[in-house]
Amino acid sequence: MARPTNRPLSPFMFPVWYRFQITSALSILHRLTGVGLAVGSILLAWWLISVAAGGELFEATHRFLTSSIGIVLLFLWSVAFFYHLCNGIRHLAWDAGYGFEIRTATRSGYAVLAMTALLTMLAWLCVFFG
Amino acid sequence: MTKSAVPSDTTALRDETMLRHVRQLGSARDGLSEWRLQRLTAIALVPLSLYFVASVLWLATSDRVTAAAWLSSPLTALLVMLFVLAGLTHALVGLRSVFLDYVHTRARLVAAGLLIRAAAVLLGGASVLAILKLFLGH
Repeated sequence: MARPTNRPLSPFMFPVWYRFQITSALSILHRLTGVGLAVGSILLAWWLISVAAGGELFEATHRFLTSSIGIVLLFLWSVAFFYHLCNGIRHLAWDAGYGFEIRTATRSGYAVLAMTALLTMLAWLCVFFG
Repeated sequence: MTKSAVPSDTTALRDETMLRHVRQLGSARDGLSEWRLQRLTAIALVPLSLYFVASVLWLATSDRVTAAAWLSSPLTALLVMLFVLAGLTHALVGLRSVFLDYVHTRARLVAAGLLIRAAAVLLGGASVLAILKLFLGH
């Protein structure tokens, strides 16, 4: 049972063989935002606990979230969320068999970026002017 | 048409494929069921996450009473609980697929898998307890 060795492992394509394409850039961005959102689930659980505990813990959490670091984190998470949501819907369309043409995939990629910018902007307009 | 048992015919409607039996080259574990779980949770998360984010935006400028009151209503408690659980499940499958691509040692892969599973169970359990406390205490 000799294991095959020297097989190419996942990131081997990136620096040498791949030139930039919107599709591959968005693909890796989907993973990065996914990992970022997974890390964000710690904050989500923490926030839920602080609401349940109330008192000083909630005050401290609220102070942190409304501090400049908190706002920057929340902003990054909001970008990651809207991007992962829009691109996730793009992925679901692919899973259903739609949008595989290169032109279509490129266009839907730019549409995802535009929707991400729009939804993020709308969300933060709600926060500051809502 | 002969009656010979073609593997794809006997397994086409089941979660397990003959790939399970493949050795050396290709997946021999639970790729397909994870793939399905990832898509199912993704579909569930579209409305659930939009509901949660819209609600948090609505709460964004309010104080504790509003957030606690919001979470103590039965519909909210249910939807937020489902959001957290579907989200953690989705994250778990996603993180695992990232690890599968970038962690090349079996022992490290198993360790990383155990770590994120433990983290997900802790975060999920804590979140559900918090929501239940607010809901039952109402």
